[in-house]
This record gives sequence, structure tokens and C-alpha cells, in this order.
Amino acid sequence: MISLKNIERFYNQGLQKAWVLRDISIDIEEGSFVTIMGPSGSGKTTLLNIIGMLDQPNNGEYYFFDEPVHKFRERKRTELHKHYIGFIFQAYHLIDDLTVYENIETPLLYKNVPRSQRRAIVADILDRFNIVAKKDLFPHQLSGGQQQLVGVARAVVGKPKLLLADEPTGNLHSTQGKIIMDTLAELHKEGITIIQVTHDENNIKYGDRVIELWDGFIKNDLKTAEALSASQ
Amino acid sequence: MIFNNLKIAWRSLRRNKVYTGINIIGLAIGIAAVLLIFRMLSFELSFNKDFENYDRIARVVRQDVNASGNRGYTTCLPQPAGDAIESSITGIEKLARVKELWPTLTVPSENSNIPSKKFNVADAETAFFAETPFLNIFDFEWIVGDQAHALDAPGNIVLTKTWAVKCFEDWNQALGKQLLLDNQIPLTVTGVMEDLPENVDFVFPFLASYETLKANPEDYFYSEGWHSCSSNDQMYILLEDAGDWDLMQEAIAGIGAEEYVGRNGTRDHVHSLQPLSDLHFSEQWQNSGTHRISKKRLSILGAIGILILVMACFNFINLATAQSTLRSKEVGVRKTLGSSKMQLTHQFLTETGLIVAAALILGMVISTFCLPLLQHISEVPNELPFLSDYRIIAFLLITGVSVTLLAGLYPALSMSRFRPVEALKSNYSNSQLSGSRLRKSLVVFQFVIAQGLIIAALINIRQLDYIQKIDLGFSDDLVYTFGVQVDSATLHRQSSLKNKLLQIPNIEAVSLSSDQPLSGNTWATNFRYASRPEDEQYAMTMKFCDENYSETYGIEPIAGRWLTASDTMREAVVNMTVVERLGLDSPEDILNQTVRVSGNDLKVVGVTEDFHTHSVRQAYKPLLMTTFKSYYWQAGVKMRPGDLKGTLSAIQQVFDEVLPEQVMDGQFLDESIAEHYGDEERLSATTKGFGFLAILVSCLGLFGLATHAATQRLKEIGVRKVLGATIYHIVGLLSKDFLKLIFIALLVATPIAWYLMRNWLDNFVYRTDMPYGAFIIAGLLAMLVAFLTVSYQSIKAATTSPIKSLRDE
Ligand SMILES: Nc1ncnc2c1ncn2[C@@H]1O[C@H](COP(=O)(O)OP(=O)(O)O)[C@@H](O)[C@H]1O
Ligand SMILES: [Mg+2]
Repeated sequence: MISLKNIERFYNQGLQKAWVLRDISIDIEEGSFVTIMGPSGSGKTTLLNIIGMLDQPNNGEYYFFDEPVHKFRERKRTELHKHYIGFIFQAYHLIDDLTVYENIETPLLYKNVPRSQRRAIVADILDRFNIVAKKDLFPHQLSGGQQQLVGVARAVVGKPKLLLADEPTGNLHSTQGKIIMDTLAELHKEGITIIQVTHDENNIKYGDRVIELWDGFIKNDLKTAEALSASQ
Repeated sequence: MIFNNLKIAWRSLRRNKVYTGINIIGLAIGIAAVLLIFRMLSFELSFNKDFENYDRIARVVRQDVNASGNRGYTTCLPQPAGDAIESSITGIEKLARVKELWPTLTVPSENSNIPSKKFNVADAETAFFAETPFLNIFDFEWIVGDQAHALDAPGNIVLTKTWAVKCFEDWNQALGKQLLLDNQIPLTVTGVMEDLPENVDFVFPFLASYETLKANPEDYFYSEGWHSCSSNDQMYILLEDAGDWDLMQEAIAGIGAEEYVGRNGTRDHVHSLQPLSDLHFSEQWQNSGTHRISKKRLSILGAIGILILVMACFNFINLATAQSTLRSKEVGVRKTLGSSKMQLTHQFLTETGLIVAAALILGMVISTFCLPLLQHISEVPNELPFLSDYRIIAFLLITGVSVTLLAGLYPALSMSRFRPVEALKSNYSNSQLSGSRLRKSLVVFQFVIAQGLIIAALINIRQLDYIQKIDLGFSDDLVYTFGVQVDSATLHRQSSLKNKLLQIPNIEAVSLSSDQPLSGNTWATNFRYASRPEDEQYAMTMKFCDENYSETYGIEPIAGRWLTASDTMREAVVNMTVVERLGLDSPEDILNQTVRVSGNDLKVVGVTEDFHTHSVRQAYKPLLMTTFKSYYWQAGVKMRPGDLKGTLSAIQQVFDEVLPEQVMDGQFLDESIAEHYGDEERLSATTKGFGFLAILVSCLGLFGLATHAATQRLKEIGVRKVLGATIYHIVGLLSKDFLKLIFIALLVATPIAWYLMRNWLDNFVYRTDMPYGAFIIAGLLAMLVAFLTVSYQSIKAATTSPIKSLRDE
């Protein structure tokens, strides 16, 4: 599904290049659940953004379902992104001015889903995530865990093939975090491909593969079981 | 999508009430200003356009070139020149001679017990003697009578509806009725037509047939010579083909090729065609309407309107870009949710559109309330239905769309271009749009305009004050003037009028004359001095005055004495300009010399200081005053202070007793002189009004920016206060930046305003020195207003407890 070849990302800092990602080559199968780990500043978010087509590498090739994303113009990337990818953020990033219902509805608006269908889809999601009662509240009226639940609901409402989660539980305490992770596991079971970034060892077990970054390089790329035993 | 955009726009506008309010009010002011100006411009530009033959009608006018090369412009067309045009030029479909007049119209009473009704043609109106084709050249709305022959015979008169009602109560009754022109010429009503709309350059109350003029040549100065004519003698023509202008101009210019040759062998008069479309805007030729306005003045007005609207849009851009950092997160999130740039642009434009729509409504309300103010700066009729005019609706729509794009497009485009990866970082400050340089330039631009207008207004006021205080050279205090008609029946009553007026206790002096000292009248003729073999190379301006003119108007001879009583021309008094032009050393030299004007030899008995006979925009002209009873159309009464009302009613009583068939129409001299400065006063009111608006709009924007700056720097201010800064430090800190901008604006505005106002002042022969103070005052004023605007926010920020601003984070 995803094939990264020799991806490089750097920023120009004065005359020097500040390297963020170097020589990253990864293949990710459809239906897998990948965990990206690494210390702060090692390039995890940058990698996720590149996979999510929000950021572009300076060098290297990126194939998404065999399509050469690195050759596409912005408009085409936006189209791909819109139809195939959902995003979850550490800081939830709900839109303050919109209610829960409207936040979840927004991706469908951008996909030009007709009104009646939108209503049905959102109602369905609200039901699934058990937040029907909250649908008319604004984000600041919700707890962090509830906000992130809405964030997940919003990310999957458009039925993406790929779900990208950047430290989804980073701002939550453990019980709230567990609810979110269980939800992701369930989505994975239904066939969605997930890539998560996390610092939390407890979250690794939900996935089937762990990629460890170190200063922009891939340090390890292991099956979850191997990774768990290696770390012990 | 649209609905969703509206919903989101509504919420975000409601959340930022200050920002929304400033934007709506600022834009509304701009829109109101533009609406009012549009109203004025469309009124002025609509003049005469509704005539069906608009593009084929012209008036024959004349340019006079005197020996010294100065050009004069007159509408006068001598009879033989008119005849030549009629007989020798082809391509003219119709032509009509007209002559302007301002007579009294009397409705004779059928019953001798009831006094007859009489009406003067008011100052703003001009009646015509006109030839019948005049009714066909212009498609006036005819009501009753035989239009094809209504003005064929002597004594025919066509009334407008209002005048028909005025004279006979019911316009249906008017046809065939009798009237008296100037109390002596019997007229028969041969037609009634609709009143003229307000946007035409003739506001005639009635048309008398041209044959009536020809039948009474002495009374109305009808003459058939090439060299005698007045600007009241005019001709309108209808071309066969609107494309013929150039050929026709050439043909008309050929008229009088032999007759108009001056003494030195060159042509001194040339006729040309003035298209109807030029009548209202001409800076050279008078028209018969209430006013003219130059295209230049109209474009200045239009430019001011657009500038104020642009300034309001700049406010919007400034506030929107300042706020945009606060919305970067939203943009980032929306983009990760799949929004395209286009969709975001639409969303932000919808917000702008909503603000603009609200501003349009508020602007309409403001302009409706301010409409009466237009009277101070223009001649636009004060009527409300202007909002129902389809052109105004179209204009509003166009304004709405263009303001939305002008104000909204830049912020919308730049916000939609935010890169989501960066926009979502918590400490994001947008490098493209921190845009403080753009904002600063826009603020400077606004204040350049605002200060420029203030400088212009101050210079305007100064010049107006200057010309109003100029020593006119005569006394206009407590002098009451009114018109008197002169004809064989009234000539002998002149002395009785004077004597009876003098018996009123509060009256000091009474004078009869052709016109008051500053009348703007130009009665000029050629002039020969003493034994010199030739006429002088300049025309001599003339006034006809009786022996009491000097005391009534306070004009003392500086050499010799004033005129003695005489019915005809015998003696002359000249002004100093004549003495200078003749090259004489002292005024005494001209005393007792003979001068020849219009074929009469006069003895110069006195010389006066120069006094202003025309608007002080013009220099002194050579002037000769002499007696001539038949031309005494105006009475001037010098009063003593006290009981003006009683004196005025006593004057009215005397008038009615001595001249019962006439209507008294009087005015104080200083008031009528003030009318000569109407144009300057309107200009001054315009610059004052719009200068005020410009400052208001700029300060609204400044207030918004100060609010933004104070919020943004709240944390910094908190830290500084913890470190020991006082309120004064903080206010200074926040105000300094803005005041710097205003100072820069002053530096830019000064040379521009200097240059433009220098040009304007150059129009005046008598002008104030460039008032340097105006620049300083404008600068200080702008700084003061800006400081007050900014300091509200600064003080608020400075007095906020630092614990509050430092708490979160
Ligand atoms: N716009 C930028 N300009 C320069 N350096 C950047 C920029 N964005 C990120 N970086 C750098 O890239 C590195 C990796 O960042 P990131 O991918 O966010 O790391 P992680 O998510 O693993 O903590 C960091 O050192 C960061 O400073
Ligand atoms: Mg990160």
C-alpha cells in the first residue's frame, strides 16, 4: 500500500542543512498496524506528515497504492489525502467554533457527500462511539478523552483506508488512553491500516510492527513480538 | 457548502465582536460616503441626457480674442451671424434663436376691484424668448395647444404647468388667456407644457415667442448689428447627423470671417458649437440653469469617495491579517480534513461577504440620514427615494461584490495558503502574514489621505476666510438692494421712489443704478482717451449710477468728485486701473479729460480707488461709471442700524405704492456678495466633511490594530510590569509604534498636499500665503486623535493585572 524509497527531509538553516529524515525506505502492507517510536525530535511527526501528504520529502520516492505521490501536484495530493487518509492529533485539534456533530461532519462536506447521506453517516458514527448525547456540545465543553474520541470519529467518518495517529494518547491519562487505543484496535480489525506514533510502551502491543527512528534514520524495524522481547 | 460557510462565518463573527463591529462600521461609513457621492455624480452627469436628440443638439457660442491675446468666452450670437448660419450652412435640421430674460409676468384682473396677480421670474430661473423650432429641437412634454405654431406670432406665450397653475389656478383654463409681460406687452397663452425635470440646464418658467422680442426691440435690446449682442442672445441647433461635428465646427468657424476682423487685421471673434453634453460641465460658457460643475470637480469627488471606500477596505485587510494568526490552527485542521485552498478561500470570502452585506445595509441607513448634508456641498435635490433608483441598486450590488473581493481576497488567499504542518504547531506565527509591514504601509496610506484632506480643508478655510475679509473697496454693510423695472411707464416714477424711500426715518441714502458694485456683470465697450487717435486695446467695463451711488455704497473719489445728477451720459468717474492702464502718473491727470465710450464723449470728473466688481478670483478691471437713467434697474438703500424689520416693511410699502405693477425682490448686499463664494464654500464643506470621514475611518482601523497589538503583547506587558514598568511606560511602548506611522504619513502627505493646494490657490488672483501652520495642525490633529484611539487599548492593557496575563502557560 505504501512504499517509501530513500526518503530524505531537511531544512535549510543558514548555509547548512538540518537533516530531519535520512534514507528512509519502508513498505507497509494494507491492513497492517504500524507503531513508530523514537526520542523527541527524531523525525516521527515529519515522517507521518509525509506519509499523510501534508509535507513533501526533499528527495526520494513515495508510492501510495503504486501511484507516484512525489510526482503529483498539490491539487492531486489533496484529492488523494481527502479520500484515503484520516488524521488524529495529540492535541485533538477540534474546530472550536463547531459542535461535535459539525466537527465530525466536516470531512464529508469536503468530499461533497449529499446532505441526507451525511446525516446518516454521522448519526451512525456518533452511535458507534457512544457520543450521541454530546453531539450539540462545543469542544471546550468536553473532557480531553471525549475530545480525542471525537477526533477519532472525525478521522474515520470519511472511511479512510489509512489512519495516521500522532501520539493520540499523549495528552490523556491511562484510562482515557486505553479507550482510544481499544477503539483503534477495533478499527484495525475492520481492515483499516493504521500508523501510530507513540512513546507509550503499552500501546505497542496493539500493533503488529514497530519502526524505531533515531536522529532521522531507521534504527530498528521489527515485528511487535520481536520488539517487545528486544526491549526486555 | 454555502449554508455551512454562512453558519461558520456567522459564529466566527459573533465570537469576535469588536473586530466584526469595527469592520462593519468602517465599511459602512465608506459605503455611505460612496453612495452619497454616487448620488451626486449620477445627478450631475444625467444633465440634459434625457432629451431624445441629446447627441445632435448644440449651442452656438463665441470665443473672443483681444489684442493682448486674452481669450473671452461668451454665448452671444449677433443676429446677422445667426442669419448667416441659417442661410449658408447645410446639415442643420432645425435651429432656434433664443434670448434669456428675467421679466415680471402679470395676470390682469378681469374685475377692477381685485388687484391683478404678478410674478417675478426668480433668480434661479430664466425665461426665454424662443423661436418655434425650440419646441422641436428639445422634446419637451407638451400638454395642450398647437405645438407646431405655438411660438409663431408676436405675443405668444407657452407656460409650464406650474406657472399655468400659478397664474390661472387650473392649467386647463390657461389656453387663450391674456398676460402682461413686464407690465406692458400683452401676451396670449398658446400652449402649456410639463415642468422641466430638475436635471436640465434650462429651468424656464415660460417661453415667449421670439417675434415678441422683435416687435419690442428697444425694451429688450434687440439689435441687428454684427457688433452688438449680449450673452443672452443665443442659438440652439439640431444637426441632421450626429457624426457631422467636425465639418460643422469648421463651417461655423467660418461665420463672420470678414465682419469679425479687428483693428489690427486679425479675427477677434470666432463662433463654435458647444454640444449639449458640454452645457453642464463647461468651464467657459454660462448656461441658463442653476449651476455648472466641471468634470474635474466631479472626478475629484469620485476619487475622494473611492479613496474613502478603499481606506475602509484597508481596515478590513489589516484586521483580517492581524487576526489570521489566531485562525491558523483552524486552517491547518481543515486542510488535514481534506479542504482544498479553494474551499477555504470561499469560506473566508463568505465571512467577508457577510460583513459587507451588513455594512451595505448600515451604509444605506447612514447615507439616508446624511442625505440632507449633501445640500452643503452640491445642488442635488434633497429627496429620499434615491434608494429605489435601479442605478443605485445596481451600484450597491457592484460595490458589495467589489468590496468583498478587494477587502477579502487578499486575507482569504493568504490564509488558505497556510501550510497545515506549520499552522498546527502551537507556537505558530505566520511568517508570510505576520505581515506587519503590509499593515504598516496600509495605515500610512490611510493617514496620508486623511491628513492630506485635513490640510486641504484647512487651506480651503483659510482662503475662504481671506477672500471674505478682503477689503472690497466699498461698503456692503446694511445696504439693501432690489430690482426695479425700467420702461416708459415707470421712468418718471424714479425720483418719487427715491424721495419716498428717503422719508423712511432709518434710511440714510438711496441710489439707483444699473448694478451694485460687486455684481459680476460685465457690460463692456470700447474706449478712447482724450486726443489719442485710436481706441485703447482693452474693453472698458461700465456701470450706470446716479449721483447718490457714492454715499450709498461708500465709494469715495480719491481725486475730483462724484457724478452730478443727469438723465443721460455726461460725466464719468473711472477707477485707478484706468489711470494705470492709460499710463498716467497721477489720478489728477485724467480729471477734466474727455473720454469716448460707445460713441459718447464724457468728461472725467473723478477717480475712485479700485473696488471689486467681480468675484475676488478675478483681478480689477478698468471701470467707468456714468449716469444714464434708462438703465437704472437696481435700487440700493443704505440703512442706519436698528429696527431692520420695520425699515424693510416700510421699503416694501413704498415699493408697492410707487410701483404697484411690479414685484419687489430684495436682498442685503452682503448676502448677495456671499453668493459669489458659493463654489468655494461648497468645496470647503466637501473637504471638511470628507476629511473628517477619512480620519474617522483611519482611526477605526487604528483602534482595531491597537486592540490586536495589546492582546498579542499581553504577556510581554505582564512581564514588563513584573519587572517594574509603569502605566506610562506601557502606554508609551504601545503608542510609539503607531505615532511613528502617522508621522511618516505626514511626511508623505505634506508635499502632495502642498503641490495640489498650490495649484488650487493659483486659481485666485487674491490668495492667502501658503499657511504652513495647516501642515503642523493637520499633523498634530492626526497624532492627537490617533493617540486617543490607541491609548484606550494601551491603558486597558497596562492596567490589567500581570498575574492574569501570565497565568496560563
Ligand atoms: N519548519 C522547520 N524548520 C526547521 N526544523 C524543523 C522544522 N520542523 C521540524 N523541524 C525539526 O525537525 C526535527 C524533527 O521534528 P519532528 O518530526 O516533529 O520530531 P518528533 O515528532 O519525532 O518529535 C526536529 O529537530 C525539529 O526541530
Ligand atoms: Mg512529534
